[in-house]
Amino acid sequence: MPEGPENRVERIVSDLLRGKRLRLRGGDADEKEAITAAARLVAAGQGVQRMHPAFRKRMAQALETAPSGGWLTRRAALVAGLGVATGVAAGGLMGRAMEANPSSYVRRARTIRPSNGTWVDVGALADLADGQATRVSAGAVGAFLFRRGETVSAVSSICSDLPCELKWNQSNHVLDCPCHPASFTPSGAPTNQAYSLPSLDLVSVRVTDAGRVEVLGT
Amino acid sequence: MTTGPGRSRGEAQAEEGAGEILELPAASSSTAIALDELELVYAFIYARVGNRPDAEDLTQQVALKAIPRLRQGAPASAIRGYLFATARSVLGAFWSTRLGLSESELHEDLAMAIPAGPPSEEPAERARRVLEGLSDNYRRVLELRFLHGYSLKEVAAEMRSTVGAVKVMQLRALRAAAKVRLDA
Repeated sequence: MPEGPENRVERIVSDLLRGKRLRLRGGDADEKEAITAAARLVAAGQGVQRMHPAFRKRMAQALETAPSGGWLTRRAALVAGLGVATGVAAGGLMGRAMEANPSSYVRRARTIRPSNGTWVDVGALADLADGQATRVSAGAVGAFLFRRGETVSAVSSICSDLPCELKWNQSNHVLDCPCHPASFTPSGAPTNQAYSLPSLDLVSVRVTDAGRVEVLGT
Repeated sequence: MTTGPGRSRGEAQAEEGAGEILELPAASSSTAIALDELELVYAFIYARVGNRPDAEDLTQQVALKAIPRLRQGAPASAIRGYLFATARSVLGAFWSTRLGLSESELHEDLAMAIPAGPPSEEPAERARRVLEGLSDNYRRVLELRFLHGYSLKEVAAEMRSTVGAVKVMQLRALRAAAKVRLDA
C-alpha cells in the first residue's frame, strides 16, 4: 500500500526535527509547499544558526588555501563595515598585501558547438535592427544577435556565471543579468569590474545569400 | 599611509572616508572577514533548509563558486550582494533538484533583503507571522510540533486527538502555512 502524504511529510518533519538532512523520495514533490514550509518552521524553532566550529574551521582552511591567498581587501571590508574588528583587535594586520590575480580566473569566450548541430533559420537580416539585440532560439541554443551593417554576431543568452537568462538593456547597450549585478557587452565581454566573470559563450551565426540569418543550434 | 596593529576601526574608517588607500590585510584577517560574511550566508540558507548537513553543503557551494570571482577592490556592497545572489542560485538549484520547484515558486521564499549585519531573528519573526495567519487548530499543531518540539503522541494528547488525525492536521497546516502571504 502506498504511503499516504501525511506519513511522507511526517517522515520528513521527523528527520528535520532530529537534525537530519532532507531525504526526499519519489512522490514527495507533490507536497513541495508543505515540505518547504516545514523546513522553514524547523529553522525558526531553532533560532538563528551559526556555523558549527568544526565546519567553520574547515571553511577557514579552505579559504586560506584558496588561489591567491585571499579574496577581500581591507579597504572593501571597511567600506562595508564588516566584521573586521576582531581581526584588527587581535593585531591581525601584518601588512602582507594579497594581490588577487583576477585574470587567472577569467575564462576566454568559448563557441557553442552542439554535437550534431544544425543551422537553424531565425529570420531575415533585413528584420534585424542595426546595433540592437535580437533574442532568438535555435533549438536548445538561446542567443542574442547583433547586426552591424551586413554582418551579424551572436552570443549566448545565458549569463556566464549564474544560470539566468540575460536581458537587453537598450539604454546602456549591454546585456544585464537579472540574478546579480553583472552586464556584458554585445561582444560578450563582462563590463562590471567588481567581478572577474567569464565572457559570454559565443554562438555561431551566418547570413545566407538569400539574406536569411542562420544560427548553429540543435 | 599605513594601518598597523592597535589602530582602532573607527580611525581606520575615518581615514578610509578621506579616500586614502589602506594597507591590505594579512591572510588571517581576510579569512576572518570571509568567514563573517559566510556566517550570514549560512544563516540565510539554514533558515530555508532547516538542517545543518544541507546548510553546510550549500554554504560550501556558495563559497567555492563566489569567492574566486570576487575581484580585489570590489565595492563592499557588491561583495555581499554577490554572495547572496550566489546563495539564492545555489538554493534554487537545491530545491529544483530535490523537489522540482521552479524559480518562480521560489521567488517569495528567496526574496529576502540582503542582511546589513549579524544574523537576526528574522526567520523566527517570519514564522510567527505565518502562524498568526492560520486557524487556531493549525497554528496549535505547528507551534507544538515545531516550536515546542512535541512528538506526535504528545501533540495528540495535548489536542485530545489521535496520532493519525494529528498527522493529517499537520500536513494540512503546513500546506496552509505555505500559502500565507506576508507582504499583504
